[in-house]
Amino acid sequence: MKRIYLVLIVLIGISISCTKNFEDFNTDKKHPAEVTGNTLFTNAQKALADQVASTNVNLNVWKLFAQYWTETTYTDESNYDIVNRTIADNTFRVYYRDVLVDLAKAKTYIAAEVNIDGNEPQEIIRQNRLSIIDMLMVYCYQDLVNAFGNIPYSEALNIDNLSPAYDDAFIIYKDLLTRLNDDIAGLDNSEGSFDSQDLYYQGDIDMWIKFGNTLKVRLGIMLADVDGGLSKDAVESGYAGAFTFGENCQLNYPGGTNSNPLYVDMIASGRHDFVAANTIVDIMNNLEDPRRQAYFTQADTSTDPSVEKLAYYGGNYGYQSPFSQYSHVADAIQEEDYPMVILDFTELAFYLAEAAERGYNVGGTAESYYNDAVKSSFIHWGLPIDSVNAYLANPDVAYSTAPGTWKEKIGLQSWLAFYIRGLEGYTSWRRLDYPVMNIPEAPRSEDGSVPKRFTYPINEQTLNATNYYLAADAVGGDLMTTKLFWDKY
Amino acid sequence: MRKFTLFFVFLLFVGMQAALAQTAVKGTVTDAKDGTPLPGVSIVVKGTLTGTVTDINGNYTLTVPAGYNDLIFSFVGMLTKEAKIDGRAIIDVTLEDDIVGLDEVVVTALGISRERKSLGYATQEVSGDEINQVKTNNFVSTLSGKVAGVQVKTSGNIGGSTNFLIRGSSSITGNNQALIVVDGVPINNDNVNTTDQLRGRSGFDYGNAGSDINPNDIESLNVLKGAAATALYGSRAANGAIIITTKKGTQTYTKKKVYGVNISSNVTTGFVDKSTFPKYQENYGGGYGTYYYGDPPYGGFEYLYDINGDGELDYSVPTYEDASYGQKFDPSFLVYQWDSFDPDNPNYQKATPWKMAENGPITFFETPWPYTNSVDVTGGGESSAFRLSYTNQDQSGIMPNSNLKKNNVLFNGSYDVLKNLKITASANYINTMGKGRNSTGYSDNIMSSFRQWMETNVDYKQQKDIYNSTHRNVTWNPNSPEDLAPAYWDNPYFQRYENYETDQRDRIIGFLQADWKINAYFSLMGRYAIDTYSELQEERKAVGSAAGEFGVGTTAGRNDVTSGYSRFTRSFMESNLDLMLKFHKDLSENLNLSALLGTNIRRSRVDQLFASTNNGLEVPYLYTLGNSKDPMLPPEELLNEIGVNGVYAQVSLGYKDYLYLDATIRRDQSSTLPEDNNAYYYPSVSGSFIFSNLLPEVKWMNFGKLRLGFAQVGNDAPWGSLIDTYVQNPSFSGNTLYSVANTKNNPDLKPERTNSLEGGFEMYFLKRRLGFDLALYKTNTVDQIIPASVSFATGYSAKFVNAGEVENKGIELMLLGKPIVNENFKWDITLNWARNVNQVVSLQEGVENVQLAALQGGVTINARVGEPYGTIQGTDYVYLDGQKVVGSNGYYKISPTSDIILGDINPDWNAGLNNRFTYKDWALSFLIDWQQGGSIFSLDMYYGMATGLYAETDFINDLGNPVRNSNEDGGGIILEGVKEDGTPNDYRTRADNFRVFGYDKNPNAAFIYDATYIKLREVILTYSLPDKILKTSFINAVSFSLTGYNLWFLYKDLPHADPEASQSSGNVQGWQSGVMPATRNIGLTVTLQF
Repeated sequence: MKRIYLVLIVLIGISISCTKNFEDFNTDKKHPAEVTGNTLFTNAQKALADQVASTNVNLNVWKLFAQYWTETTYTDESNYDIVNRTIADNTFRVYYRDVLVDLAKAKTYIAAEVNIDGNEPQEIIRQNRLSIIDMLMVYCYQDLVNAFGNIPYSEALNIDNLSPAYDDAFIIYKDLLTRLNDDIAGLDNSEGSFDSQDLYYQGDIDMWIKFGNTLKVRLGIMLADVDGGLSKDAVESGYAGAFTFGENCQLNYPGGTNSNPLYVDMIASGRHDFVAANTIVDIMNNLEDPRRQAYFTQADTSTDPSVEKLAYYGGNYGYQSPFSQYSHVADAIQEEDYPMVILDFTELAFYLAEAAERGYNVGGTAESYYNDAVKSSFIHWGLPIDSVNAYLANPDVAYSTAPGTWKEKIGLQSWLAFYIRGLEGYTSWRRLDYPVMNIPEAPRSEDGSVPKRFTYPINEQTLNATNYYLAADAVGGDLMTTKLFWDKY
Repeated sequence: MRKFTLFFVFLLFVGMQAALAQTAVKGTVTDAKDGTPLPGVSIVVKGTLTGTVTDINGNYTLTVPAGYNDLIFSFVGMLTKEAKIDGRAIIDVTLEDDIVGLDEVVVTALGISRERKSLGYATQEVSGDEINQVKTNNFVSTLSGKVAGVQVKTSGNIGGSTNFLIRGSSSITGNNQALIVVDGVPINNDNVNTTDQLRGRSGFDYGNAGSDINPNDIESLNVLKGAAATALYGSRAANGAIIITTKKGTQTYTKKKVYGVNISSNVTTGFVDKSTFPKYQENYGGGYGTYYYGDPPYGGFEYLYDINGDGELDYSVPTYEDASYGQKFDPSFLVYQWDSFDPDNPNYQKATPWKMAENGPITFFETPWPYTNSVDVTGGGESSAFRLSYTNQDQSGIMPNSNLKKNNVLFNGSYDVLKNLKITASANYINTMGKGRNSTGYSDNIMSSFRQWMETNVDYKQQKDIYNSTHRNVTWNPNSPEDLAPAYWDNPYFQRYENYETDQRDRIIGFLQADWKINAYFSLMGRYAIDTYSELQEERKAVGSAAGEFGVGTTAGRNDVTSGYSRFTRSFMESNLDLMLKFHKDLSENLNLSALLGTNIRRSRVDQLFASTNNGLEVPYLYTLGNSKDPMLPPEELLNEIGVNGVYAQVSLGYKDYLYLDATIRRDQSSTLPEDNNAYYYPSVSGSFIFSNLLPEVKWMNFGKLRLGFAQVGNDAPWGSLIDTYVQNPSFSGNTLYSVANTKNNPDLKPERTNSLEGGFEMYFLKRRLGFDLALYKTNTVDQIIPASVSFATGYSAKFVNAGEVENKGIELMLLGKPIVNENFKWDITLNWARNVNQVVSLQEGVENVQLAALQGGVTINARVGEPYGTIQGTDYVYLDGQKVVGSNGYYKISPTSDIILGDINPDWNAGLNNRFTYKDWALSFLIDWQQGGSIFSLDMYYGMATGLYAETDFINDLGNPVRNSNEDGGGIILEGVKEDGTPNDYRTRADNFRVFGYDKNPNAAFIYDATYIKLREVILTYSLPDKILKTSFINAVSFSLTGYNLWFLYKDLPHADPEASQSSGNVQGWQSGVMPATRNIGLTVTLQF
């Protein structure tokens, strides 16, 4: 019987031995378990710019919602169908998963970096980086609120809470303003920040301070119809330190692997999905707006092959519009290295024009800011300065003579100037209710009107159902027609 | 130490003594009735696990351990007979028909042979012949309908994957496929298709690695269905196991040497089953309506270009549209079509009649003539036996330029080094080469063009001719006469001949085994086995192709490119070291005991690299990574190593001939679990009670058995799910970019467990002319380790959690009948029927749903609490008192949310009915395979109904006019339903554009179909040359078989497609896009035996 014991001992011995490599087996040798916060920040900057630029119909359909462009054959998104391609889901995915969580993790890492001997400059640089990161988070959350209304905020980005509650959109806005004030106060230009790892400003603290103030004006002006006092405070305290002429925040794409998504979506893809929408082209044609040449190509509208009759010609928004018949997006916009604007002076100047109309003390008149804004837009689009003056002299453009209320004037011109910045254009229309949008052929919105918001992601219906249904109730129904809290008129 | 060595030598010596005392016997088993040899008779040395089976000529040889003198001969349907050896070397036996026992021996877990009657769990055996007669690329697919409780779903793609479930899905996101074991060695059956492919976006179906097993080498296959059967294998067999025994040579135990040669040749051809291919409408051509520039009544045409150069504008087809909702056909009207744009086309600048194409997409398919040739040589002598086989398979597909070649060499041999020490070795080399597999899913898939996006006026023979004459991408779908680049679709021939993939897998499976009979009670088995392969997949996209997602991506996804080359390499290695000590003793006359103790050391390693060109190819036709236009993106790398150390024990008790009890316990220690908590134990107990042996006076009952089993099986975590890592994105202007991974790992995972309870009842009566085997089971998988989808607001898409319980309950019934048995004519019927009901009992706290996939069309496949696994969710109609509501715009109202359960992927039940008739030298069998229930969302119908391809979009309406006429012209349709106020709908909705029938204005529910099918799966007619003809020749046997496979749908609900077809195996089922049509296969096999 002894030999049996021996065999037993051998068997058990073999099975117990050779577990010493076990930990090594389960280690991922191809991906790091630790990275620096700076690399996460850089990644988030690119991901954010990509989302803002994109015209991929799965990711960003706001250039359509703003009626700058319309689709050629597959007009689902132009008709406000965001279910077929789960666009709301993808919006949550990009902002929370691909941008915000990287920023949040970058903060954690940077806060935990070891400071040798309490070195003061190092501490300032750390604080600068944390403030910059937080400002980008504020930017992202504002986009999300402007798309949906109430969103997960205070309980977001916490993987230990799989059912994050939705916060009230107005409360989020107030918190964003508080954060922004702290962030701006936390920036110290005696030291640097990220240097070249900051793709927007190469670590320039002065520019980040201006970015913060501009963003504050933007948050503030959105609240004008909700909480006049808060709005006034934010705008008045922000404008002086904000962007001046020619200043903005943008990502300069180097091309190649890091090409502007517009190039990827429209040139590299070989697809012909978009043409100019009649909504914008008709208005620009009426105004003989010189920016047409920077925005669009001309189409040959002649029926005689021997004669060319070029014109700016937009497809009926939301109706099928054969690519060959209509104006296209200008070639320059489809270049690999076309820069994408995140925030700019043009935008600020329109907000300040509006602020002046609302009686805020912003150091200028509505007309002066209106003119600045239009000028800024022309310069941004590469048009000669004399063409601006001529344009501003057009009685339909000149602030004193243009038709309609200040909302109509500023609404129209800011919408024209926000071209290709879909969310800003669409938001401007929602706030100022101008210009008049076209109704597409078969709108998916509940009452057939232009949507006032995105419905929540399907994922939230299935994965965060309790909070989803609470949020849907709180905003007044998860419908495209439900107006956001700042959209009073 | 010296003492130890001495002891070991002593032990060896004693062992040899025991071995020398072995005896060998051989003989022939014949049928008592007519004296014909009986193949497949089980012979067991009574009181041991040693046994063998007779060969085709009824011959057997067997080594009998010392101290044993009784042999048991058993065969289904015949009386079991015992024979005393009493020193004889040759023992010939005759068996009599129609008697009591069910004493056959089956191979169970870890290669242990057991008497079937003693098992306390369900197994079902299928012979090698049944698997080998019909030639498919994966032997698993031929099991459909043949085993109760098994669901087989073949994707339909050439060399494609086969989904194989035993007793339903139990794991929420893990592997639900059964384990495949060949001669005791687990065989890797991975499906390495990309996530995009599995979720139906794009990509090729590279199949399952288990398809490497050569059906011609299979002697028998035993399906172990429940956890009790497979507890000894551990977690990998929690979903059941297929235990395959390969054919072997025969040891003679005498001076005589025997040899045999088998040659078999098969050729099979396939024809598209037209009921699984679109039936197109024949009255309207390319376009989306009548809004183009042409003047009425030709608004469906462009009027923008001067194509023939005469200075006047011409009518031309909007070729950039991939839909058939355009201009009504009028053969008398001449129009410029795609073939008039390209100078190399015979119709250049020529207008042609506007009509339905003569050669539609169906003409695109080719008739393949795949063949399979096998030769094997077996031999045996006094102390050795071997078998060497070679099979060559050359399978072309119905898609042009597709084929799959396999070469398979298997050698196995055994040699008695000593009388009590047998060495067995086996080596199997398999080489698989694929070329031109069909692309799958939504984009870039020719089938999705045929089913969703095309123009009915396009003549595919013309597409073929222009490709053959130019070798350029002259597509039917150019952007415009001035821009001939493809809008969405390539010339399909260009795609098949230029954008083909190739793949190759070289694999070696082998083992070395020693069996040592230590003494009368103990024996020891040691085995070292490896399964290793290297695989290369190369994909190409020629310069000038339509843009599509391709190659490596970033965290943001994969970009569309118009050319590229990608290369995926994978090497896989698994080794298993097994040691098993077996013990057997009769404790008393009535009570015997078997026990075993074993250990299994498993190591596996996967090393993968996926690299591709970026943003296209610089030089056309040069397919190399260096030819990348932009610098390459970082390749995707994976290196994953897993180690599991297991120890197990089993005790079996047998009391008299009617009571059996089994108990097992296993401990596994796995490297994928947290180090301080990586070992787990799990037990099983099962028993069987053969009550018929207590009731010999009940004459009508030949056999009756009750069985009951309980088992728990543990499971470890997927590799690398404990520690978080970061994902790198391409650097930006010299800056490194890292991103938080999409799935949050969890360092606190604990093993998941499957608890299963099963009972069974087996009876045979009326001289075994009638029998049944009934099984009932309930399996609960708890503490599941799942990368659960989570709200994106958490910053992640998924998180590994230990949560959730899935319950599977089911019933399996097997009925056997022999309605007619006489000398010349026999009729056998087998009916398999199984119903599995599963339910997601719980998920983690606060979570009601785990999303398995979000698919094109806005539907999701989910595991939702309280519902069956795999619910299909999406938008539904809005109902009022059970009636569909039509909105004020004349279209159906659609539910505001997309979380409505529209169906689930699980069939209600599966059945297979097999009939076999034997008349003299002729045999005819046919198998009817029936799946009842289950749901499918058809993306093909979702889009194809909108693009106006299908016949259902063109009919005469209630006013007697073509429905596609404008409403002013008496067209349109009044949708069935009620208005919002509840009154019957009377809106006449326009049907002259793409909205009314398709995805745009209908909920997902409109495209959900019942997956039920009844198929005539197999028909086999075999003729064997009578012995008297062969008697004088050197040939032993000759047979001819005519086989038919997937011949006919007796019933299906899903229009225009095969409900079985899918993009791939795996958990994402119940969704179809661009699936291949089914083929009716007819083959001829000739088999010669020397």
